[in-house]
Amino acid sequence: MGSNGGGTLKFLNRFDENELLNAYRVAVYSRTLDDRIINAQRQGIIGFHTPSAGHEIPQVAMGMLLEKDDIVINYYRDLTLLLFRGVPVENLLDHFLANSEDFSHGRNMPDHYNFREYGFYSVQSPVAMHLPFAVGAAYAKVMKKENGIVLSNTGDGGTSTGDFHAALNFASVWKMPIMFVIENNGYAISLPTSEQTKAPIEKKGEAYGIPGISFDGNDIFSALEGFIKAFEYVRTQRSPILVEARIYRMGPHSTSDDPKKYRKDEIVPGSSDDPLVKFKEKLKSLGILNEEFDNEIKKWATEDIERKLEERMKIPPPSKETIIYDVYENPTWIQEEERREWL
Amino acid sequence: MDTRRRKEGMAMRQLNMVQALNEALDIILNTDPYSLLLGEDIGRDGGVFRVTDGLLQKYGKERVIDTPLNELGIVGTAIGMAAYGLRPIAEIQFQDFIFPAFDQIVNQAAKIRYRSGGKFNAPVIIRAPYGGGIKGGLYHSQSGESYFVHTPGLYVLTPSNPYDAKGLLLAAHKLNDPVIFLEPKRLYRSIKSDVPEGEYTIPVGKAKKLREGDKITIITYGSMVPTVLNVVDKNNLDADVMDLITLLPMDLDSIISSVKKTGRVVIVHEAPRTLGVGAEISALISERAIEYLYAPIFRVTGFDTPFPYANEEHYLPDEDRILKYVRKSLEY
Repeated sequence: MGSNGGGTLKFLNRFDENELLNAYRVAVYSRTLDDRIINAQRQGIIGFHTPSAGHEIPQVAMGMLLEKDDIVINYYRDLTLLLFRGVPVENLLDHFLANSEDFSHGRNMPDHYNFREYGFYSVQSPVAMHLPFAVGAAYAKVMKKENGIVLSNTGDGGTSTGDFHAALNFASVWKMPIMFVIENNGYAISLPTSEQTKAPIEKKGEAYGIPGISFDGNDIFSALEGFIKAFEYVRTQRSPILVEARIYRMGPHSTSDDPKKYRKDEIVPGSSDDPLVKFKEKLKSLGILNEEFDNEIKKWATEDIERKLEERMKIPPPSKETIIYDVYENPTWIQEEERREWL
Repeated sequence: MDTRRRKEGMAMRQLNMVQALNEALDIILNTDPYSLLLGEDIGRDGGVFRVTDGLLQKYGKERVIDTPLNELGIVGTAIGMAAYGLRPIAEIQFQDFIFPAFDQIVNQAAKIRYRSGGKFNAPVIIRAPYGGGIKGGLYHSQSGESYFVHTPGLYVLTPSNPYDAKGLLLAAHKLNDPVIFLEPKRLYRSIKSDVPEGEYTIPVGKAKKLREGDKITIITYGSMVPTVLNVVDKNNLDADVMDLITLLPMDLDSIISSVKKTGRVVIVHEAPRTLGVGAEISALISERAIEYLYAPIFRVTGFDTPFPYANEEHYLPDEDRILKYVRKSLEY
């Protein structure tokens, strides 16, 4: 991470060159990891993946503004944010591989992360179900007089759920320090946002008495500017806000999905519209990065992931006895009997 | 940790179930600074059944929360509170209205511990009045315990008298996993029992034998308990009467040892028969004690229909229906 010493806060009065470069490195690492996991899925090494390509920019922006005490109640497309907050890639790979070193004993499909130590909640599949949960987490923070805020993100599809409605209403009525982030990538599997809702997403907060803010999430400075305002609002007002980061899902919904059936790619990875390429060009124009250094970053990311993947693949799968643990604090006679008879 | 205190020296009072539950909540709020209540109309109004009466005035609106009308919001936020260190007790005004929160209960609360490898747990109690007998029609009378008994990760508890109600709620508060706490609303004010002051707990996972006999085992719980006891007492039946109290995980050992003694079983509950709790009890007995049985296992239950308004006394198993099946078993 960058230092703030010596009056070098050149960008948005907030960040120095090192912080921007670090964000870029995390974004590149995330994209590289994403691509490798997709390949690993095709090779049969990993079962499934919901790629985060196209989500890197708003996620590094959030990462740059989050503080240690903030809790993130995240969803399954937040790989970049996990990396930004320091989740070791070894732990991520153990999770993807569902091996015996995985914290949840390989119980979850890939992308259903469990990194409490790094300020995250545990990810479930049902969309937006964690939003009311996040309001409850904020309530606990307030009641226990803890520092920090809660950030909870989901996709555009999440805004159609009853959970979204309940969460925004409760957060507003209780005046909770929470930021709801909608990573609007244009599609909920196959459904374009234009058929998901006819109201602009940022406007949805108004109905609950919550301010909304929307920005181009493909551009690092526009994302940072938007999030700076949003974080400042929640931190100073101790009240909820709804944020829409407009981005584009560059990959499929998941490795089980073929987007060719329902759309033409509007942004092709590696093209000049790719937000990661735009980020690179921006840093080059600012004199923070050159092609040579960029190649070094990408080479390092590729080699680091390859080496670690090879190493983690040697770890055996979880023992079958782990099936029965953690259903309750202690197994009941029912789980114990099933273990004795079958495991 | 044994939280039970000496019952000697504790003053006994005759309380109804509403008062007993209110006392349990009062003790929890008074002794656990991280506990709180949330639900519809539980504060100013004291709850539509008055179970939370007076608690807002005593503990303030941060800990006795009148929520917006949204069950998924009530339960969803309560789970988040629980996972981050609070001890919420949510009230669902009628169990019939719990279904918008079903996803939160089944997919969030019941699975947090498992999917996070024990990093998170959700010690939330979800209280819900259930069952008929108050002229509540289709939507104020349901007995939906089976939906929850079918979900590993939950405890499902239901008391049948004021003494158990208080001790069971206090016991539920000590559990570190989610609890569906079903309150038989027909019994809220219809019976009183001796209830000690102060704290005591009823063991979770243990059934109570309310009558001891050799000829037949009658297994029941919740609102049907007094009806079953009437049948047994009025007819001088030589019966073991088991009040399950905990529906998940059920007290298998007590059931099986009673069945091995009597060889005859009738199961009584208000919920519809198909895949009701009685079906599971019947299967457990068949697997483990079928060679001890002299008669088929009979179930006396609510009908497999929605709950009717005008005809509710015909829907609910009554003394005649229970006695008919007890005789059928004894004479088999």
